[in-house]
Amino acid sequence: MIDFEYVRASDVDAALHAGAAPSTRFVAGGTNLIDLMKLNVERPTHLVDINDLGRRDPSLAAIAELPGGGLRLGALARMRDVAWDARLRERYPVVSQSLLLAASGQLRNMATIGGNVLQRTRCPYFRDTATPCNKREPGSGCSAIAGINRTEAVLGTSEHCIATYPGDLAVALIALGATVRVRGASGADRAVPFASLHVLPGAHPERETILRPGEMITAIDLPALAAARRSLYLKVRDRASYAFALASAAVAIDLRGRTIRDARVGLGGVATKPWRSAEAERALIGKPATEQTFRAAAEAALAGARPHRDNAFKVVLAKRTLVRALTEVSA
Amino acid sequence: MPSKSPEAMRSLIDREPPACHSSCRAIEPGDDAPDFTVTSADGIPRRLGDFRGSPVVLAFHGAYWDPARAEYVETYNRLVASLGGVAGARLLEIGGAGPWRDLTFDDAALSLPVLSAADADVARRYGIGDEPAVFVIDAEGVVRWSQVGAMSLANPVAIARAISAVAAPFVDAPNDEAAPRLAWTRRDFVATTLAAAFALALRPVEARADQVAVLAPRPALRAQRVTLSVNGRELALDLEPRVTLLDALREYAGLTGTKKGCDHGQCGACTVHIDGRRELSCMTFAVMQEGHRITTIEGLASGDRLHPMQQAFITHDGFQCGYCTSGQIMSAVAVLDESWGPGDDDVREAMSGNICRCGAYPGIVAAVQEVRRAQASNGGGQTR
Repeated sequence: MIDFEYVRASDVDAALHAGAAPSTRFVAGGTNLIDLMKLNVERPTHLVDINDLGRRDPSLAAIAELPGGGLRLGALARMRDVAWDARLRERYPVVSQSLLLAASGQLRNMATIGGNVLQRTRCPYFRDTATPCNKREPGSGCSAIAGINRTEAVLGTSEHCIATYPGDLAVALIALGATVRVRGASGADRAVPFASLHVLPGAHPERETILRPGEMITAIDLPALAAARRSLYLKVRDRASYAFALASAAVAIDLRGRTIRDARVGLGGVATKPWRSAEAERALIGKPATEQTFRAAAEAALAGARPHRDNAFKVVLAKRTLVRALTEVSA
Repeated sequence: MPSKSPEAMRSLIDREPPACHSSCRAIEPGDDAPDFTVTSADGIPRRLGDFRGSPVVLAFHGAYWDPARAEYVETYNRLVASLGGVAGARLLEIGGAGPWRDLTFDDAALSLPVLSAADADVARRYGIGDEPAVFVIDAEGVVRWSQVGAMSLANPVAIARAISAVAAPFVDAPNDEAAPRLAWTRRDFVATTLAAAFALALRPVEARADQVAVLAPRPALRAQRVTLSVNGRELALDLEPRVTLLDALREYAGLTGTKKGCDHGQCGACTVHIDGRRELSCMTFAVMQEGHRITTIEGLASGDRLHPMQQAFITHDGFQCGYCTSGQIMSAVAVLDESWGPGDDDVREAMSGNICRCGAYPGIVAAVQEVRRAQASNGGGQTR
């Protein structure tokens, strides 16, 4: 790990000021950044510790009611505290479940909501500086496309990158249509639809979000949504716990009788960014909640999948995961 | 470093191979690399000795090598790529076929013989059997790094570091005459980021002062006073910001009860309590923990009286080798303050961030359950 300057910021303005310098990273939980620094994948020369910001402004680490029935998750709230929050468990079970099925108890005590959604891919080539990787070193090539690509993505890929977005929470957030609150050096918050936060790799896999250098996520807003109470996160992985998703589904459904009035579908473990499937939602809304409907939705969700040598199984797995999630949530 | 006479070289080449397999002593760092001749695809026989003046990587791919298997090819390609990348030289061309691969850098050349199981005679000279093995040989023909007996080829990054260590002038020699002859003379090899890794690669051969230059001490430029509250005591340590809490505890504070397993947040061996919550000490910098209350395994017992969880791990055989145990116990104590249900499955899920390679999980679950039940019957009192 290269040496760096460490600054502990006492308030948001100071953090944003310090964060505007080149080669600077904010650090909160540190569970992804420090890992990547040890691998020399991340090489910041300056670290701005933002853990103390919640002292000056407790809302940054709190969960608060929004007018109209939504909830605001402070960016510095820890995964554990959001996961077990009674309001989340009742009104947004998919969010709580996505957090409890992610990482480990220790990591959930450390990692923050803001950092979680910005976590980097676990593509083994991205993490290994001895191999080419367009995301880590633009223009160097992609080792995964012709390499061992069992864990790579089948949706949203490009000829430059097929790295999977690894997170769970973001899949729930994109399904629910959450909003990200972002603050930059100007000091003013801007609201970004969660679906716009992450970008497809395209020709520039090194660009992962629309955040500008020095900008900070301050909160994530969950909308009031009838379907959210009947929601579920289903995660399939190589072992029962403490592993990244091979395929996951975040589903929320609003039923009248057995007819689907509203449906939200997010997919994880299979795409280059948190994935919401408008195709699957269209195949569900207005239809009866039957296995036939769910299968049609799953086919629609994966219609655009482009598997590589080792990961064609993900197309089948993702469909089955989605069908099972929809079956369970509508039971 | 005295160079060998042609006679001595010839005697090395002509020496009968020892009539044994892996029961022979494997060639180790510090040994002279036994010479041998192989014929490359172009039909020209080439001796290892021809490459004096350049570092050489010798890779035995063993009996299980199957070029059709992608992971082996991948490993090999990564090895070649990393020798160019990590060593700091620009890889211009990879030529040659068959057992020898010639790597050409912008200012140096390097040969990489890859020997198959068919070269059993050469393998015997190196004291190895069917298993994959890698040797890094310096410009003087001395083995400086080796890995023998693993199921697959060595990590290419480790090999690259080893070869950098024998080839690159990142060290300051006591004087020029004592310095080894170096094939590469790129001053820009000096890279702070790799210094620690180099030190590690050099350690096994440090004693050979006549061959190995002295590692320049790495000044702790940004060390600053960090005060940590550990097990109720204030510890003042001079640390660089990049020192993790785990390393601060183990290497600076002498508290080695907290273990380093993976050092990447994947195993749980380094679990400590920070302000009463279980966290991973390898995934946070010590400087970030000023002002927080840290508890390690050393702080769990009251004098000679074990914490109930420590006692329960003993009672239920919750460990074999013990390496993960301090992390398991720290995690288990904190789990009982979290919101988990009472079942064995709840315990397994709650404890899934602590990996035990001995497979002592049944004992661990039993230990956690015993303490949980005892707490519940005592009215849910705290365990700390």
